[in-house]
Amino acid sequence: MPIIKVSNLSKTYEYYKKQPGLWSSVKGLFHREKLYKKAVKEINFEIDEGELVGFLGPNGAGKTTTLKMLSGILYPTSGEAKVLGHTPWKREPQYQKQFALVMGQKNQLWWDLPAMESFILNKEIYEVSDKDFKENLDELVDLLGIKDILDVQVRKLSLGQRMKCELVAALLHKPKVLFLDEPTIGLDVVAKKNIRDFLKRYNQKNKTTIILTSHYMEDVKELCKRVIIMEEGKIGYDGDLASLIEKYAPYKVLKITFEGEGVKKVDIEKYGEVHKFSSHSITLRVPREKAKNIARDILSSDLPVDDILIDEVDISDVVRKIFNNNKS
Amino acid sequence: MIKKYWMIINNEIQRQFTYRLNIAAYAFGNIAELVALTVIWTIVYRNIDAIQGYSANEMITYVVFAWFFSFLTTTYSFEQNVARDIHQGNLSSLLVKPQSYIRYIMAVAIGRILIALGIVIVQGILVSLFFRDQLIFSHSPSTFFLLFCMLIAAYIINLFLSIIIGFIAFWTNEIHGIYYSLKVFSKFMSGTFFPIILLPVFFAKATFFFPFAYTIYIPVQLYLGKISFAEGLRGFAVELLWIFILYVIIKILWKFGLRKYESVGI
Repeated sequence: MPIIKVSNLSKTYEYYKKQPGLWSSVKGLFHREKLYKKAVKEINFEIDEGELVGFLGPNGAGKTTTLKMLSGILYPTSGEAKVLGHTPWKREPQYQKQFALVMGQKNQLWWDLPAMESFILNKEIYEVSDKDFKENLDELVDLLGIKDILDVQVRKLSLGQRMKCELVAALLHKPKVLFLDEPTIGLDVVAKKNIRDFLKRYNQKNKTTIILTSHYMEDVKELCKRVIIMEEGKIGYDGDLASLIEKYAPYKVLKITFEGEGVKKVDIEKYGEVHKFSSHSITLRVPREKAKNIARDILSSDLPVDDILIDEVDISDVVRKIFNNNKS
Repeated sequence: MIKKYWMIINNEIQRQFTYRLNIAAYAFGNIAELVALTVIWTIVYRNIDAIQGYSANEMITYVVFAWFFSFLTTTYSFEQNVARDIHQGNLSSLLVKPQSYIRYIMAVAIGRILIALGIVIVQGILVSLFFRDQLIFSHSPSTFFLLFCMLIAAYIINLFLSIIIGFIAFWTNEIHGIYYSLKVFSKFMSGTFFPIILLPVFFAKATFFFPFAYTIYIPVQLYLGKISFAEGLRGFAVELLWIFILYVIIKILWKFGLRKYESVGI
């Protein structure tokens, strides 16, 4: 029995065209040309209880629009969705008490007050008992290690600390479903990892169903077994992440910089497919499983290597590849 | 149920305390406005005994109390808060919670004014002491009680108007122009600066088709004893009627505005 069921869900935004220039602005007062943007086009998917699913795709792919429809902020143009047996956009309190939405670029915490005040307010709004509140809060504060910042004004917190507090605020009522929209946006590597580790543990422990959107491959790779890839409002791929990587990103990228004289193209072509070349910096595509060995070979060769970096393929490349494949 | 809205009021009061300087700045502006009005009237009355039945002391009393009442019942530009919620998308995170947004903003509005209200009351007492030789003091407890009710109703009217203007943000990015015009219009029509009776007859009559006169002019008239207790009661009834009408307008705007918000996402 899926906990989230989405069928033929579509969302079309209306907006107005505005030509540049003063005269057009004046004309715009009287007549404006209406345009339509199909943000989400007839998507279908189901998610089971306890799953942690990643929504991946470039900006403007329709990920956030989908999450907004599932949390009842947006009314769809057509189609249906059921979350925990409720239609989200009816905004029934029984549904609202069972899910939470965290948006990386927005905050629900009271900016000028310590986070604790927002937590207490949420306790009242979600009607959490004193006992449950204390237990949940202790658990979350412990898991995230934020005991010492609870009494600091939210605006004085770092972005990473604030995101942790946002997560606490969202999870105090033990939602069964959690929507996370770009939860790691703007965070540094360490903070990103902290958030990811937390989500992983929380999901395992509480069996919370989580949907997470991101355009960082790393986020999704660490957390989600299953990914749904969206582009231009459509789902391009829905399935196992491992087989996705095998199928569409069977290589990794080596970024190498050289010192001194630099290198000649012929000297490195034997190591892999050269993507970008200049005498002091190259980008190489190599088969995923051989990446480490090749890097070692290059380092131990007599090439004047200054630095070497093994990187994932850009997610937008992967997405583009999937969509090109689907079209052809 | 009630507790969550009390918590919102509580948080908002705390939030105001973090802006102590802002509160002091408001208090300074309040006084400046009163000084300007009393200076003008003192000069005007130098060579005249009465204007439209107002003696000099009555006029000073009128101006001081109109000033006092207007600052007791102001929402301090609350429409901006509502508009900001809509434009910056805070409304989204408020909508996904099991709470009513309209009740939520009312709680915020009340929490927001309480500290300023305390300051206005202290100012009012100081000002009364300063003008003690010119002010007319009314003593009937029943009049005071009716005045108290009228001022609460006046605050609710102002709050509802602010929410209505704030909701215009659903349809346009610019509410400042509308807000500014209404502000000037309402100050003029409410009799904040001078008794409405000084206006040309047409305007004076027109004011009674709007709620503004009932928020300042009628309460001050009641205080001065220029209208009877029964007429005061009638004024209070009209205020209640306006509260009902404005509430219906809020509900309608909310319904259509939300539909727009849901379809556009803003």
